[in-house]
Amino acid sequence: MRGRPLLHTSYGSDMALFNTMSKKVAVGLLILVALALPFGLEDKWLSLLATCCVAAIGAIGLGLVTGYAGQVSLGHAFFFGIGAYTSAYISGDPDGRTLGLGQTNMLLWLPAAGLVALLFGVLVAPLATRLRGLYLAIVTLALVFIGQHVFGEWDALTGGTGVGRAPAKLELFGYDLAATDSIGTKDQKVFWVMALLLMVFALAARNIARSKVGRAFNAIRDRDIAAGVIGVNLARYKTVAFAISSFYAGCAGALLYTIVGFIEPGSFSLLLSVQYIAMVLIGGAGTISGAIAGAFFITLLPTITRELQPLVPFVSTEASKVPNIFQVETILYGLLIIGFLIFEPRGLFGLWIRIRAYWKSWPFSY
Amino acid sequence: MRKFLAIALVAAVSLAACRGGETATDDAGVKTDVGVTKEPCPEAIDKNKGCIYLGIISDLTEGPFKALAVPITDSQKAFWKRVNQQGGIGNYEVDVTKNIKDNKYNPQVHKEVFDQIKSNILALAQTLGSPTTAAILADLKSNNIVAAPASWTSAWAFEDVIIESGANYCIESMNALDYANDTYKPKSVLAIHYAGDYGDDAAAGAKIAAAKLGMTFSHVKTDSGGDKQAGAITEVVTKNPDLVILTVGPAETGAIIGQAAARGFKGRFIGTSPTFNPALLQSAAAPAIVALYEQSAPWNNWSTNSKGHQAMREALPGVTPSEGYTSGWVWSYPLRAALKKAVDNKDLTRAGLLAAVKSLDSVDYEGMLPTNAGNYKAGVAGQIKMTAIYKPDPKAPTGGVQVKDLYVGPTASSYTLDGPCFSKL
Repeated sequence: MRGRPLLHTSYGSDMALFNTMSKKVAVGLLILVALALPFGLEDKWLSLLATCCVAAIGAIGLGLVTGYAGQVSLGHAFFFGIGAYTSAYISGDPDGRTLGLGQTNMLLWLPAAGLVALLFGVLVAPLATRLRGLYLAIVTLALVFIGQHVFGEWDALTGGTGVGRAPAKLELFGYDLAATDSIGTKDQKVFWVMALLLMVFALAARNIARSKVGRAFNAIRDRDIAAGVIGVNLARYKTVAFAISSFYAGCAGALLYTIVGFIEPGSFSLLLSVQYIAMVLIGGAGTISGAIAGAFFITLLPTITRELQPLVPFVSTEASKVPNIFQVETILYGLLIIGFLIFEPRGLFGLWIRIRAYWKSWPFSY
Repeated sequence: MRKFLAIALVAAVSLAACRGGETATDDAGVKTDVGVTKEPCPEAIDKNKGCIYLGIISDLTEGPFKALAVPITDSQKAFWKRVNQQGGIGNYEVDVTKNIKDNKYNPQVHKEVFDQIKSNILALAQTLGSPTTAAILADLKSNNIVAAPASWTSAWAFEDVIIESGANYCIESMNALDYANDTYKPKSVLAIHYAGDYGDDAAAGAKIAAAKLGMTFSHVKTDSGGDKQAGAITEVVTKNPDLVILTVGPAETGAIIGQAAARGFKGRFIGTSPTFNPALLQSAAAPAIVALYEQSAPWNNWSTNSKGHQAMREALPGVTPSEGYTSGWVWSYPLRAALKKAVDNKDLTRAGLLAAVKSLDSVDYEGMLPTNAGNYKAGVAGQIKMTAIYKPDPKAPTGGVQVKDLYVGPTASSYTLDGPCFSKL
């Protein structure tokens, strides 16, 4: 069907992973850019981009349950915490001040972090299948508070409030992925690892979304009663949605703190959940690429505002003066969420659709 | 396609190998690596000199110790400015202004901001807090980064990269109990403390001393935040101990003493140095604090007459006096001594600085601490164990007057530090 990319003559071609040639090329280019970036960028930017990649994994997870299946979850921070502590426990020093098993292989602690989080997701799911909307939001909110209390008090595992513990070690069969050596600096290597993992997780999510499961999610989001009537098992698919989402959150939590370098129990607060909701909303709910774009945007936002500060010299960089850059950051954050909800509910992804539509119909765009 | 990828990967690997730090040697034959430049400091006094960059990570905005941390940081800026005015360190001046970061007294933030500045600095002129510094300790050790702490945990005695000053919390609490034993003859002691290497350390010292002096001991952990002290206050009122040892922040001190006194508690409070701040004497808890509280301190206060104290007061004209200034000033001497020694050894690399620290057998504190202080060569045995006791006085410049000059109590002098105290709580 050369020259007519939108004409699909079979079900398979309609549902294909890359249903147009340009998508294939674009993704290929993006991967090449990701591979090449570490040679052109300073280490501090690479470290930030690696954080973006991990945030994107978390955002994709939330996107699956909130964007695709329409189940609002404020409990993402809790699952992040579960993942972070599971991985830290497995990889931790057995003789250290906090519990540890000393199994530093990433192939061990990463799936474990995801699976333990998944287990908690499945435990919560029975509640989620009976509730929706605000009530579901409140229940998942409660998770965050329970989690915060347990993380803050369980000194043996988490170090406790104000003390914290070391995160998992980024290691693969004894090879340290987070140490500068002849292959690359720490930040170069970490970026490659995280970019690769993002590709794997994004691809998996995309495949879930375009399968039977994904279509069931969409049906539930659009109208759960109708979905039930046409034969979608609500309890089952809501549980699956929570399980997958928690798995992603657990993995992202484990990976994120290997970059941050330290875990303080206070991190897993409502603020973290809201940040991820913002990523999904600003990026574009119900799309994988939107979640990725949102994650990059929100994670880069503080740094971008700080870099732009010289353009607005009346905004101070010192926290003791008003107005300062930290306040502007917080305000900007709120304004962006409101702005996107009012003017472009489809998020960054929606902006992209508009740009695409404009150029597609050029010179007859209106 | 595969072939191309393989070629790209090989190219990538060989390109990546080009990055990394390098050592240089200056005109005077001093070897340098990270954080030392031939270019002058941004605020250089003598533009012909190079620059040594030191980092500061402190609690500057919203953490529990901001009232102390801001003066500590200002004092250190003044200290290093004075060093530069006196001719710097060899052919270099010292900059502590370009790499200042806020840790919010959160170990995770501490680690994050440390990662941001670590490739720009030779050493840390300040790393505030014990649990916060514990979060970067492994990093400091693997990179040979010497750090002057703004904390007194006993763990620092066992770390080469940390150049601590004054007696640690553990010893300080022992001295406080010896002092209380002579003065008030308490039978029961309660330690109220933060979790982690700061609070646990002082509480452990109190526990060891209480056992030796035949007092009953109990302790309760509390979180930071003046509004979160209900549990601690109830503990004080119901247990009704003769003596309470506080290892918290100023806001918690005010809440605990004020409310415990309001509920009829008549025992004594002794707090380690970071628990007090003169602003407490303007708070509602002031009468209770004046009546019940005393403070232990690792060195004498702002108004003391010594060469170092005088230099400090001259370098900080017009400030509202605070013990933060005194502490920031004292903590800077060992790093100055180490930098001088490293330049004398012609090795101002990170490893060279660490070697210089390990060979220091005394530091000239200009009279602010006794002459035997700063013996890092002797390791744990070189620790000094002196504590002074102050009581609050609204008329004194920093809100305290001396009750007992620097002394070593019998418990502390007979105690051998064989590991960080906090692990014994």
